[in-house]
Amino acid sequence: MTRAFLFRGLVLVALAALIHAQDNKTPLTVDEAKKLRNPIPFSQKSIKQGHGVFVRYCTSCHGNDGKATVDVVADATDLTAPKTWKNGTTEGEIFRSIREGEGASMPAFKGQIPQQEDVWHLVNFIISLWPEDMRPPLHDDK
Amino acid sequence: MDHQTKQDQATSRRKFLKAPVVAGAVAGAVLSPGQLFAGTQGAIPSIRIPKEIPETLTEKPKDASFSGKGMTGAEVFAKLCKEEELAAMFCCPGNYTVINAIAAAGVPAYGGRTEGAMCAAADGFSRVTGEVTACSGTEGPGFTHMIMNIAAANSARTPLLVLASNMQIAGDDREQFIQIMQQQPLTTGIKKYGKRLIAPNRVYEYGTYAFRNLKSGVPGPVHLDFPGEVARARFTDASTLTDYYTKEKYRTGSRPHPSSKDMALAIEMITRAERPIIVAGQGVFQRGGCDALQAAAEKNEVAVVTSGPMRGHFPDDHRLSASLSPDALMSADLVVFIGQYCMPSPGEYRFSADVKTIRVHPEQDDLGRNWPLDLGIVSDEKIFLDQLAGNMPAKKRDAWVNELAAARKKFEDTNLDHYQLGLKHSAATDHLHPAVMAKEVHDFLYKGDIDPKQTVTGCGGWTSGIFAGRWLRANRPGQGVACGYQFGAIGPDLAMMIGAGAAVQRGVGPQAPYKGAPVLCITSDAGIAYSLFELDTAAKYKIPVIAVVYNNNSWGMWPSAVGSARSMHMYLFQENLRYDKMAEGLGARGEYVKSVGEFREALKRSYHAAATETVSSLINVQALKEFTSGRDYAPGIALPPEPGVGAFAH
Repeated sequence: MTRAFLFRGLVLVALAALIHAQDNKTPLTVDEAKKLRNPIPFSQKSIKQGHGVFVRYCTSCHGNDGKATVDVVADATDLTAPKTWKNGTTEGEIFRSIREGEGASMPAFKGQIPQQEDVWHLVNFIISLWPEDMRPPLHDDK
Repeated sequence: MDHQTKQDQATSRRKFLKAPVVAGAVAGAVLSPGQLFAGTQGAIPSIRIPKEIPETLTEKPKDASFSGKGMTGAEVFAKLCKEEELAAMFCCPGNYTVINAIAAAGVPAYGGRTEGAMCAAADGFSRVTGEVTACSGTEGPGFTHMIMNIAAANSARTPLLVLASNMQIAGDDREQFIQIMQQQPLTTGIKKYGKRLIAPNRVYEYGTYAFRNLKSGVPGPVHLDFPGEVARARFTDASTLTDYYTKEKYRTGSRPHPSSKDMALAIEMITRAERPIIVAGQGVFQRGGCDALQAAAEKNEVAVVTSGPMRGHFPDDHRLSASLSPDALMSADLVVFIGQYCMPSPGEYRFSADVKTIRVHPEQDDLGRNWPLDLGIVSDEKIFLDQLAGNMPAKKRDAWVNELAAARKKFEDTNLDHYQLGLKHSAATDHLHPAVMAKEVHDFLYKGDIDPKQTVTGCGGWTSGIFAGRWLRANRPGQGVACGYQFGAIGPDLAMMIGAGAAVQRGVGPQAPYKGAPVLCITSDAGIAYSLFELDTAAKYKIPVIAVVYNNNSWGMWPSAVGSARSMHMYLFQENLRYDKMAEGLGARGEYVKSVGEFREALKRSYHAAATETVSSLINVQALKEFTSGRDYAPGIALPPEPGVGAFAH
């Protein structure tokens, strides 16, 4: 198998996963999620848009700061501490957790946040809460 | 016509109004146990209401007087309560001198099974009327039992008069006899005002302190504790009492008016905005501003979303209501908080970070707390709204109104999607999913023969409350109660709704057109444990309540134990407990359902019994704890967007 063939194969797999992700009705598997890449660059603009989504759907369980320190909702994840996460920290895995729900408590948000783009912005916002040395470099909005 | 059809027709409002519902006093009616409680044959006596209950309820009030033997301190205080139109008192025996005097003075009085539940009942009565109510318990144990619900009333800013006896001043610090404790420190932080009465001749004066606080400014609980020396003191001459004068002299009905400059600026900001929204808090209801709110909103096509511990001060079914349009909230460019006493912080309400803000509040010192303002206005809510309705220019906002409608449709479509999922889960498991339970209650109350403005509802519990909150509606003032509002107590729901039911039974305030109608409570198996026994109280006073108990065999927070060693047992109950049977043992009807068809029929039968016989029912909705989790049974639960229907935090 040549390197070019392998590369084309990977692109096709990623594309298939992305197409699959566009279909909200079909559950996204963990393996498919791992292959997903965020089509929206990690930028201040995207983080801001993600924050808007976060405020609407996430703060009641994860808190305004993402630390989930309010013990009212069952075992919500501290979004600022990815090393403690149980269900993966890749962009695709975060995307999947939001879309399909996670664990016994977190519901699926694919109904409430139907636009994939909004979920990806939210992924970027969540990553912006991580410790600085774990964050990817910021993409220039210009 | 078959029997069931006859029953169905009997549930119509028209038929219901013809039924011999007697508000207030039971008027000599004694339950017919054979009709209500099957299975009591042979030597086992039936449940029945003792004759002394209707007899004493129909006795005439007794006026206390300084002449002759004079008045006790308790009677002086009771007379003040009567003159201040205390709407109702809910109590358990204890504080005998005071509760007897208040009942004798003619204040509607109710005796129940636990002090905590009676406190919640008083809170519920106030939430659906806006009136001042009281609760009472004995010193020590009775008083401490009330604490959770005093705190809930404090979070809800309920004008609740908390009364308790407190042994004798002479026994202070000596642990003399039993039940000794200092009460006032225990209510620190959960009351507006409190006082242990220690000078008998100041009993009236401190009563005026109480009502001044209960009826002025932002309401909140007032706690008075009565030592025996005060309650039992005798007075034969009014001049021996301090500050013994009428209410016009010890409090004022004067209210703050907005300045003309503030008013003009507010009107300019609202008119200039493209998508203005009013958050109508509890102050709009408690200060009687509902009509002015509707007039102002309609004149300028301003959206309105309600908040607070009661619902309906702007109708959910109004085209300008945003209470079912959560996705439109982020579009608002101006928010006007009016009568929002429990103030959220930015992020807790689903508004844009850039939204301009006006807040109207009766007290200056709260303006600017939590939420940054562009304009703060000190004003009574009704006065502000009257001026707004009178002075604001008419304006059409078609785009905004259309956006509200589209967001509402999306919200309702999502609810229907959840219902369809719930039907599928129910059929697959032979247990009733909470989305189905909530939708079926909705259809029964608002889509059938019953006037959709009639039935007062309240909900609580975790899974049950979250699903029910999306489906219960309030289409007129005082039609809804957010039982867990802000304090988040699990459990007072049924007691609170029995209190609300007492207000409806008497037709107090906004409940007058629906006097005697049944009320409905949706709660959980965890919640019902706290107030199940008050079904006895409902039966005793013939307050017709339909309690829908979502029984999922667990505390709703069971997912917290998933993955944690040795923990799950703490979150679970025995499975298939029969709350319907427990209800029957307390003189109510019991229904047990596992399917949508059974539930529909149970609702009909329960409503019929409530409307025609003033008999309460408990419907045990058998479910599975796993319905809480979206992992196996989508959608699972997500906290409701705030503000709007189902909101309970602010």
